[in-house]
Amino acid sequence: MLEIKNLQASINDKEILKGLNLTIKPGELHAIMGPNGSGKSTLANVLSGKNVYKISGELNFKGEDLKKIPVDERARKGIFLAFQYPLEIPGVNTNIFLKTSLNSIRKAKGEKELDTLAFLKLVREKTSELGIDEKTLSRQLNVDFSGGEKKKNEILQMKILDPIFSILDETDSGLDIDSLKIVAKGVNSSRDSKKSFLVITHYQRLLDYIKPDFVHVLSDGKIIKTGCGELAEELEKTGYKKLN
Amino acid sequence: MQNFEINSNQIDKIKKITTEEKRFRIRNLEFFKAVGFPNKKLEDWKFSDFKDIVDRNFEELDTKKVSSNINKIDLLKDFDHNYILLVNGNLHSSNFDHEEKNKIKINPYDKSIDYEISKNPLVCLNHALAENGYSLEISKGYKLKKVLVIYNLFTKDIKNRILNNKNKIRVNEDAELHIIDYNIDESKFKFINNVYENIILKKNSKLKSLFIQSNKSDGFFHKFLKNKLSLNSDYSNLIFSSGLKFNKLDIECDLIEENCRCNILSALFLSKNEHQEIKTLVNHLAPNCKSNQKVKNVLSSSSKGVYQGKIYVKDIAQKTDAYQLSKALLLDDNAEFSSKPELEIYADDVKCSHGSSSGSIDQDSLHYLMTRGLSRKDSTKLLIKGFLNDVIEFIKSPSIKKFVESKLEQQINES
Repeated sequence: MLEIKNLQASINDKEILKGLNLTIKPGELHAIMGPNGSGKSTLANVLSGKNVYKISGELNFKGEDLKKIPVDERARKGIFLAFQYPLEIPGVNTNIFLKTSLNSIRKAKGEKELDTLAFLKLVREKTSELGIDEKTLSRQLNVDFSGGEKKKNEILQMKILDPIFSILDETDSGLDIDSLKIVAKGVNSSRDSKKSFLVITHYQRLLDYIKPDFVHVLSDGKIIKTGCGELAEELEKTGYKKLN
Repeated sequence: MQNFEINSNQIDKIKKITTEEKRFRIRNLEFFKAVGFPNKKLEDWKFSDFKDIVDRNFEELDTKKVSSNINKIDLLKDFDHNYILLVNGNLHSSNFDHEEKNKIKINPYDKSIDYEISKNPLVCLNHALAENGYSLEISKGYKLKKVLVIYNLFTKDIKNRILNNKNKIRVNEDAELHIIDYNIDESKFKFINNVYENIILKKNSKLKSLFIQSNKSDGFFHKFLKNKLSLNSDYSNLIFSSGLKFNKLDIECDLIEENCRCNILSALFLSKNEHQEIKTLVNHLAPNCKSNQKVKNVLSSSSKGVYQGKIYVKDIAQKTDAYQLSKALLLDDNAEFSSKPELEIYADDVKCSHGSSSGSIDQDSLHYLMTRGLSRKDSTKLLIKGFLNDVIEFIKSPSIKKFVESKLEQQINES
């Protein structure tokens, strides 16, 4: 699914990713942990296609060079990023935005576009599956949403857009236990042999609910250790210092 | 521009006017002849040099009368409505089938307008030469059941003409009227439409007015609106006049008695070299009145938007609540937005504030939308619509709102 080789990324001459290697196969869920400033969000942004970094190295997604593919096309190819800080977009109705978004993705996949009724049916299905209030979607996109509502809205978007590769950038930060369960439910109910996930988190807590196939430790722009679920538990006890 | 002369005997040709009115017209014509088209040296025209605009766009201009013959007009089918049809500013016909007809008076231009001396050369030109327009009066206590669409149709006969029209709307006590001023330009030529409009709202009355057009126009529009609001009356003006080559709306609102409410809101999407100015003067002359102005401009290519907004609060107008805000979204380095907010306050117990900002599309917001599969173009369009949305939200009727949204969409797509 995703193959990253010797990825380097810098912004304003500041090197952030310093030769990162990572391979994610279909059906796998990888967790990335690491101290503040280690480059976790930069990795998420680079994968989503944010155009502010100077990049070198290999970045292949399903055999294609991702570096050459613009942001919107990446989304239409099935890459989704749940933002660490979802943006507030005043005046844009969440439902209308999501319908336009879903239909542009469906069109790219050669699927039939959904009319309003079919879209609302899908929304109803996904909101009730996650236990999210449907009314959220008739509000302006993320405007005056609480931190938790924004994060849950990201997961709902993920469920509706149905990507094959999802990146969750600290989606668990600032969530109470009930919201955390909603996020975990969103991920777990989407998992299958074709879909892959990259979950960036600071806390082992999320990994109690989402079982990763691999846990990586990112430090100073490189993956310095890879293990399974137990690595997260170990980090929770010992912190990152011992690894350096 | 070489060929523009107005002969004083043009006033002699105007029929059935009193000596006093004739004198008034001549005085105004002399003032216009002395000053000419307003240029940027006049403070009120500093951002819209009309003389320069005329010189650049017209080789000749004249003020001769134009025909108001038409074959047919396609009425809007989006919602039920009454209508008045103006052809080149002349009252052509009207239809109030949805209403009690004895409650509505509609006549050609009313000569009994209370003229005021103006320093605006275009208003003087209008005072000197206007012969056409309409006068509408709504009887006491009557609330129109359906919206009134004023079709303002311009035909091919108006090439290089200046049309001077005068309109008057009087909404009597407890009456209510909702108007849509709808421009249709079939001329495909350059012309100037210079309108003076007088709006009188009596006690407890309500007027909602919305301005929009059907298609792009090469016309140059100037409208001076003089509004008088009496006790507890409610006035709102929503401006969606995108697509005009030039447009200046000069709105003066006198809040002469207590508890009046005045809303002036605009949402414009300007493209190419379009130039629009909204100039307001809201005079708070009595206590406990509320005014709200919100001007939003999206500017692409080399378009220019201007907002000059003034709030005046007289010493006796205590408990005034006045607010003005202008925001511009600039899509191109060549686009320009100028704003001049002014507050002149002589009362000490008031709430007055103003704000103005301009900026470009937020790149992080654009990125966010694009990560959901929307193209750059669609994401930008969504952000533009979002930016203008709070003015559109002011429209309560779902069918009219849908109509305005589709027009706005069309304007954005055509750019």
